[in-house]
Amino acid sequence: MTSTSTQQMTARVQSGPAPRVKSISQLDERTLGITWTDNLISSFDVVDLRRKCPCATCIDEWTHEQLLKPESVPETVRPLKVESVGQYALTIQFNDGHRTGIYTFSMLRRLPNTQKN
Amino acid sequence: MSLLKTVQEKLSSHFSRVTEESVRTTLSAIMDPDLGKDIVSLGFVRNLKVSGSDVTLDINLTTPACPVKDKMKTEAEELLRKIPGIGNITVNMTATTRGKVTQAGSPIAASLGGVKNIIAVASGKGGVGKSTTAVNLAYSLAASGSSVGLLDADVYGPSIPHMTKPNKPEQSNSNLINPPLAGSVRIMSIGLFAGGDKATILRGPMVSGVIKQFLTQVNWGELDYLIIDYPPGTGDIQLTLSQTAPITGAVVVTTPQDVALIDVRKAIAMFDTMKVPVLGVVETMSYFLCDGCTKKHYIFRDGGGRRVASEFGVSFLGEIPMEPNVANACDQGRPLVESDPQSIAARAYRDIAGAVAAQVSMIHEAYKDALNHFSIEWRA
Repeated sequence: MTSTSTQQMTARVQSGPAPRVKSISQLDERTLGITWTDNLISSFDVVDLRRKCPCATCIDEWTHEQLLKPESVPETVRPLKVESVGQYALTIQFNDGHRTGIYTFSMLRRLPNTQKN
Repeated sequence: MSLLKTVQEKLSSHFSRVTEESVRTTLSAIMDPDLGKDIVSLGFVRNLKVSGSDVTLDINLTTPACPVKDKMKTEAEELLRKIPGIGNITVNMTATTRGKVTQAGSPIAASLGGVKNIIAVASGKGGVGKSTTAVNLAYSLAASGSSVGLLDADVYGPSIPHMTKPNKPEQSNSNLINPPLAGSVRIMSIGLFAGGDKATILRGPMVSGVIKQFLTQVNWGELDYLIIDYPPGTGDIQLTLSQTAPITGAVVVTTPQDVALIDVRKAIAMFDTMKVPVLGVVETMSYFLCDGCTKKHYIFRDGGGRRVASEFGVSFLGEIPMEPNVANACDQGRPLVESDPQSIAARAYRDIAGAVAAQVSMIHEAYKDALNHFSIEWRA
């Protein structure tokens, strides 16, 4: 290995790889909790997640305009199942039949629900 | 004065006893340059035995392809020799590759359950020497003692069978296909089934189906590294691969000129979106070595791969010169790192393999607490 590549490797370690999920659980009847590999903790209101669904039927792919009317989602909507997608996202199957949203980890971390441990 | 010193040394060597603890303390001065911790805290020191004044131990690294293996051995021996009263020193270098791409119960467990790491070799555009890099990376890792598989995901232009000449595939007794060996590497490619010169004419969804079969119905067995030779570009097949299999990291291949770099940026951005860590950039056709002199002729400008790597903050893994024997080796079905191991290109490929293996170990250190796969049922 050349000295240049060693230096660059060190630089990469300092900047740190993108965080992934360390643990995930249901906190109460409408809250999803995630602890990330950098030890930040997030909690998400599942109704809010349904209203912010990023899928192509909820957000126009070209204009990024939200097609889903958030107020059309009732307060009673709940997930049936939360599952990983690859190493970069999760998907939620909701009890209103909607299941196409892929919530990337970077999107979830941009939502204002993450705090330092 | 000198007599006194000799007596002192004799006495100290007589009275000081070599202990396991003194050996561990001494070895804790050795740092792993990639993981940034000392080798004792990392648990690398194993089977430590002190009998009288003699010391035997293993240093168990995270990959047999570790680029600093020999340096670490020498460093350990030199440090131990300074312990007063030490006798014979035996340091064995061993390695256990870290990683596990899937857990039991996952749909890919039957096929990939024994695979520790999956490395994508990709490029933004075709013709940059991606398959050549994948082949030489695979055989370099295998030569260092790792068990390696090579999956040719370029369904429309499978070149791996031509470059490695594997045996015919067989059906295993569990309805999985056994990937045939070419030398010491297990190979799977659509070219093994379709016949080398027949075109694969398939629509996108069919190709995705073939790729899924390669990842779910092939008996890959126990592998330290599965190298996937990606088709060029950022389309359907690349998405299917990254969504079906947990890719440990990606190596991006490019040639030096700007027009290739535009596309390599797209490939890096794609892996970034899929949150697959980019292990680094390999530049091929970097310069031409003629047979008359040792001057490096930079035909396609120089330093492009290095520039794009530093732009994205990823490692520049190395540059491969244009040498006629690189292409010759491919066409004869013998990887260059085996047919001409002392050539400049072969040495560059070996260094790249070492750097890739080191990067993979670093990723495991960073993600050692991460869940590879989760599924939770919501309670009403």
